[in-house]
Amino acid sequence: MAVADPVLSVRDLSITWRTPGGAGRRVVDGVSFDLAPGATLGIAGESGSGKSTLARALLGHCRPGSAIEAGSILLDGRDLARMPPAALDALRGREVAMVPQNPLSSLTFHMRVGQQVEEVLRLRAGVSGAQARQRAIALLDDMGLPDAERLARRYPHQLSGGQRQRVVLACALACDPALLVLDEPTTALDKTTEAQVLALIRRLRVARRGAMVIVTHDLNVVADICDQVMVMQHGRVVEQGPVRNVFVTPREAYTRILLGAALRVDEASRASPPQPGEVLLRAEGIGFRYTRPTLLRRRAQGPPTLADIGFTIHRGEVLGVIGESGSGKTTLGGLVTGLLAPDEGRLVFEGAALGIRRSAAQRQRIQMVFQDPLSSLNPRRRVGEAVIRPLRLFHGLDHRAAVARAARLFEELGLEADLLERFPRQLSGGQQQRVAIARAFAAEPALLVCDEITSALDASVQAQVLDHLLAMQRRQNTAMLLITHDLSVVWRMASRVVVMQNGRILEAGETAAVFQDPQDPYTQTLLGAASRAARAGDARAELITATG
Amino acid sequence: MKALLRRPMTLLGIALVLGHLAIALAAPWIAPHTPTSLLDAPLEPPGATYWLGTDDLGRDAFSRLLWGGRVAILVAFSAGGFAVLGGTLLGLSAAYRRGAYDDVLLRLVEMKLAVPTILFVAIFVTGFGQTVPVLIVAVSIIQMMGVVRTTRAAGIVLMEQGYVRAAQLNGEGGAAVVVRELLPNVLDLMAVEFALRASSALLLVSALSFLGLGISPPTPDWGLMVEDGMALLNSEPWLVLAPALAISSLVLAINLAAEGLAEAFGLDAARGGGG
Repeated sequence: MAVADPVLSVRDLSITWRTPGGAGRRVVDGVSFDLAPGATLGIAGESGSGKSTLARALLGHCRPGSAIEAGSILLDGRDLARMPPAALDALRGREVAMVPQNPLSSLTFHMRVGQQVEEVLRLRAGVSGAQARQRAIALLDDMGLPDAERLARRYPHQLSGGQRQRVVLACALACDPALLVLDEPTTALDKTTEAQVLALIRRLRVARRGAMVIVTHDLNVVADICDQVMVMQHGRVVEQGPVRNVFVTPREAYTRILLGAALRVDEASRASPPQPGEVLLRAEGIGFRYTRPTLLRRRAQGPPTLADIGFTIHRGEVLGVIGESGSGKTTLGGLVTGLLAPDEGRLVFEGAALGIRRSAAQRQRIQMVFQDPLSSLNPRRRVGEAVIRPLRLFHGLDHRAAVARAARLFEELGLEADLLERFPRQLSGGQQQRVAIARAFAAEPALLVCDEITSALDASVQAQVLDHLLAMQRRQNTAMLLITHDLSVVWRMASRVVVMQNGRILEAGETAAVFQDPQDPYTQTLLGAASRAARAGDARAELITATG
Repeated sequence: MKALLRRPMTLLGIALVLGHLAIALAAPWIAPHTPTSLLDAPLEPPGATYWLGTDDLGRDAFSRLLWGGRVAILVAFSAGGFAVLGGTLLGLSAAYRRGAYDDVLLRLVEMKLAVPTILFVAIFVTGFGQTVPVLIVAVSIIQMMGVVRTTRAAGIVLMEQGYVRAAQLNGEGGAAVVVRELLPNVLDLMAVEFALRASSALLLVSALSFLGLGISPPTPDWGLMVEDGMALLNSEPWLVLAPALAISSLVLAINLAAEGLAEAFGLDAARGGGG
């Protein structure tokens, strides 16, 4: 892409990471692109594709152990790859600024947010005193923060995630840099908040003349706010060009995989129809409140995490639980699995009450798969042991029989049997999660609780893991409590759904009915945000109509 | 392991520790004189016969120096070992059980930390007698407190991990969770703690001997040698400097080795254990 007068011009950039052994690995390999003033480039790729390393290099920064091996990064004609550290430092914040992924860790926790914006103005723009304060408040106001004057006096922990990200944006834009680099700017946010922050970024893009680079694993974000896209894999550029062209007619197979893997609500559901069979689990008026244990008694804190929760799961049925972070859905999973005990109400499982103390049979019949696949496997034990142990505990198999059964479970989940001997870190995220699923199914449970099991996985792996999970679930006729914030996962898998907010159930019913005709205003917003993202992600259709 | 061997300071530390251990073990065979025999030649200056001269009772200072680490190292290393083993089990069990057990244990640790170390040992030794086993127990208890706190903190983080929860959901008992799930994940911490506790125990033992609360005369010991030589610091400074140097070189060596170990383990974690 040759641009007449680019702000940023990257040529044949290669970045090498040196392992302690001395061998080098190219994490960015021969990347070239130009960016005109006002243009927005989306760099998309899965984890490990080198996109974040590239983003840092645009600020002239390399992680320890890595170095720019070849190529140039010309920002307004000056080469950042060959600039002395002092000159780079003077440039950062003024000419090029960055918005990192996690807004909480990028703000100083003991400074009022207004002061943090002022600090940038003082150090980078040379403005101080009352003038800096005014400009800081104006900037915060510009970021769409309500009552900026009062908000400026708050500390980062007193703000919501979306508000924090707006403050970070204000800091980055304080000196109106020629280039703004955003690294996964919305990954840490809820769907609704994400849509709002993306709208802000879209507005800023139009208002400002500076160029933007947005690094993301989420193609919906690219479709939503970028005009150019670059798809990376293993440090190389797979495909680049205007968003319109790449999304409508992707040339490379990998791009097509990424586009196809972005799960969308408009896809056909694979969930089985609701089964009016035997009730497996019944929750009646469940209430729960987190307590802070002190030496003498337990003290309740804040409002209840869960209040008046009631639902049923039938044998072999998949029930989806949707909610944003803080809705209490993970706590609900903890209650069902027995990690927590309810303060009010009761759970009835297979006709017997479920307490915190459970019989071995009850423990065997309710299993769980966790969110983070790596942390759900003991890093110092071979993954096979994770599956063999429950087989021996629950089915009393001897070691040899347990190994054979574990190998069969691995095979059913598409894992090679020799992976049994590996350690968790030697497996990919998708493999780790399938091992965790194998461990859960080893017990042959009647109910499986899945807590956000795909949110830590790359898009192309998510579908694969869900397919294997669904196949296993059908094979063993296991009921599932599927907890997620991802509406498309629920749409694909669950026959009935429960929508939660602030510890209460707002709406419940058959998935198709709730998705097509949501009754509660909150559900409507939630689905609206998702369908906006889905519409943006469904760029092919939309763009074809737009161009046609 | 390779990363460990490429650090010169770590290598120096390991070499010095091994050297000290070798000398301590071989002292009966390599010492030129018996460390406790009175040679009827007090306060000889260093020379060909008595390499570091003789002390005020006429004992060969060089032989005493070679012998002087034996008991102190024995006490320091065994106390370090007991402290790490006991402290880790206590710390991890506290992280596992939390609640009242955890509270009581932590209050005990804090109470111990509030009592001056020397006073604690003085009371202990007065009560149980000034023998090497009593000394090992006393020093172990002192060193254990820090280990309880670090391993408890690590354990609390581990308790949140999915694999611990999975084990609990499968009905594994407390001992199984602590030993099978938690312990393997704090082995690196234990190795580093052992090195730190052993070096700190060595300093403590020497200080106790110096004060007359540790190893009793006539056993040759560095701390005792420093104490004996203090009166002669102006005329025969080598009688103090040599054992002092022996203590500090071993403490320094253990710390260098520990630091290298810590970094090597940290590096392993960052590299993903070869994944």
